[in-house]
Amino acid sequence: MRNGVVTVRGVRVPARAPAPGVLLACCAMATRFELLLPDLCPARRDHVGAARLRAAGEEALAAIVRLEAQLSCHLPGSDISRINARAAREPVRVEPALFELLSHALRLYQETEGAFDVTIGPLMRCWGFARGTGGVPGERALARARACVGMHLVDLDPRRRTVRFARPGVQLDLGGIGKGWAIDRAVLALRELGIERALLHGGTSSVYGIGAPPGEAGWKVAIEHPAAAGNACIGMVTLRDRALSVSAAHGRSFRVGDVRYGHVMDPVHAAPARQADIAAVAGAAATDGDALATALLALGPERARWLADRRPDLDVVVLAAAAAGTADLVWRRGITAPRMHEER
Amino acid sequence: MAKRQPRAGDALDRRDFLKRGTVVPVAAMLGGLEIGPAPRPAPRRSRSRAAEPVACGIIGFGEWGRELATTLGRLESARIAAVSDRFPLMLQRAERAIPEAARHEDYRALLDDPAVTAVLIATPTHSHREIAIAALGAGKHVYCEVPLAHTVADARAIAEAARSADGQVFQCGLQHRCEPQHRGVFQFIRSGAIGRGVAARAQWHRKQSWRRASATAGRERELNWRLDPALSTGIAGEIAIHQIDLACWMLQARPVSVRGTGQIMHWRDGREVADTIQALVEFPDRLQLTYDATLANSFDGEYAVFQGSDGTVMLRDNKGWMFKEVDAPLLGWEVYARKDRFYREVGVALVADATKLAAQGIDPTQDDPNAETALFHALEEFLDNSVNGPFPPSAGYRQGYDATVIALATNAAVTSSTAVAIEAAPFPDLP
Repeated sequence: MRNGVVTVRGVRVPARAPAPGVLLACCAMATRFELLLPDLCPARRDHVGAARLRAAGEEALAAIVRLEAQLSCHLPGSDISRINARAAREPVRVEPALFELLSHALRLYQETEGAFDVTIGPLMRCWGFARGTGGVPGERALARARACVGMHLVDLDPRRRTVRFARPGVQLDLGGIGKGWAIDRAVLALRELGIERALLHGGTSSVYGIGAPPGEAGWKVAIEHPAAAGNACIGMVTLRDRALSVSAAHGRSFRVGDVRYGHVMDPVHAAPARQADIAAVAGAAATDGDALATALLALGPERARWLADRRPDLDVVVLAAAAAGTADLVWRRGITAPRMHEER
Repeated sequence: MAKRQPRAGDALDRRDFLKRGTVVPVAAMLGGLEIGPAPRPAPRRSRSRAAEPVACGIIGFGEWGRELATTLGRLESARIAAVSDRFPLMLQRAERAIPEAARHEDYRALLDDPAVTAVLIATPTHSHREIAIAALGAGKHVYCEVPLAHTVADARAIAEAARSADGQVFQCGLQHRCEPQHRGVFQFIRSGAIGRGVAARAQWHRKQSWRRASATAGRERELNWRLDPALSTGIAGEIAIHQIDLACWMLQARPVSVRGTGQIMHWRDGREVADTIQALVEFPDRLQLTYDATLANSFDGEYAVFQGSDGTVMLRDNKGWMFKEVDAPLLGWEVYARKDRFYREVGVALVADATKLAAQGIDPTQDDPNAETALFHALEEFLDNSVNGPFPPSAGYRQGYDATVIALATNAAVTSSTAVAIEAAPFPDLP
């Protein structure tokens, strides 16, 4: 946090809690979640008041850790690992909240016409991201992986609350939605416990602001430019009971010649998304924001309007990939450009 | 050249068999003692009865009650018919999680529902006695969390009511006793594979305040019963009970005394209940369990270690490893088993049901993607027993009572910093 601004996709996050208040953290979903609870009622400004805030924060973070144990496809014994291991052989019964999440993922798949897809597991493995090395696959390997991708291969039975795969090889990977889902659940817990001001982020790529810091209109969040040096940003958002999710290609990646391949997969083209360098979505729910920011990275600025028209409730900014030869082409709606850095 | 993975139905050669079956095949080499999940009496299966899911009622929808609900939600044999909690927020959460379930502020209304056949109690420890006895009186099968109670008298009352409830199931929440990996390791230790018992050690390290928050101050006091010295059984009662019971089970011994100490090392928020404890639990033949737990530091998490003259077994996250002494007799199979390195030690992975995994085409030397939690196995057994039993549960009233008595003695030792003797006969009037 600098001058009251949290930088998203950067490393500048709150280092200490403002006084009075508490800062909590936990490691889950291969990232660090931080929760800032700055507000204490004057009457509660004592160690017991701080303990109450911490207790509420602990409950919220515990919900995130529990969800990691359920949703991670990298943890043997998680519900998703069990589904991946069994669902091609038999219907796998899941608990109601997970069924709701999978059903929601299906709706988002349909809404984005496949640009967001939780069945990208085979593609992630095929492109080497699952083992952390990365590499361009051969045609046959890619064809085999493509045959196992698509939500049409996943049968969700609401009556029995089961998941069934249409063929072996299908694998769920909730990496594009799990963090947002966890943040929304944690925010719900905080609200139920009476928390009226908080900032929660997961690895600075998904952020939710409850209420606003004292005397402010909301939580100011800057979206860092992925390539520009210094403090250049492509957008500023003031979050008040809203979420901001950012997806970028410059995280895990590998390079072959002049081409850099990022870890965000474009399911439609069965290749790493290359239409945009960064996409950000602000809205009421981090779940949708995470999923749609991922989809926008695949769709790019040219098709951002198409998706945005389907979701008028969301604010969006998409920066075209530098590799696409349209450097700094930005499509935005509702997310303002910072004054010092005008888009071209 | 990559080695072909066996497929389901393949005959395994001896080398594969040994490599894959790090626990099961050792049976043949240890005088024919079967290594694997401890045998349970076969349930009396009835297809028509088994086809109907068990209508469950959850009393207490706090953190653990919700965990029970989540796990039951994955079991085809369960249907959550009702939830009871005294506080509107918890009922609101129940409505969101299980909209089809009836909701009651008073647990007695849940017990009055004839459709509910099995009840799971996840309320504060000091309320178990009233609820468990009422549930048994209402003819329900009962799953009650441990410790059974915050006093020995209450625990005894529950155990006596469970014993008298003919034809009803009473299972306590010592879930590790139902977990296949733990059962496999139990048999492994009992086979004498680590030699003569030398010592045991267990720890539980987390960084959390143990405090609960509420939107209302009045509710907060009630919610924080674990920090109330008059009601709390402390870390010894609420946490250590599982690991001390694990030691009693693995060693097949009952402690004779316990010494302990406890301090508030970090959470100086006005509490009186220790956030850090140490205990020395003494078993017959001078064997001791060294135990420590803290809410102030998370380093190295939670595990238990059993040391013998020929080797050591470590149980961690429902996984087991054996560390052999260099002069220990060669068992044979361990040469081929998966090895995991822990700094300078090399652990031989102990895998329960290894041959079954191999038959399913799953490589037992890898982590099992089908692995279920101990709670899943415990609830599965409870439901199975409710339909097809009653047969003696892996963790019944006798184990629950005994574990509670020992945990309460440990808490007394911790709070008084003295040695506390544990009565020799746990429940002498039990048959």
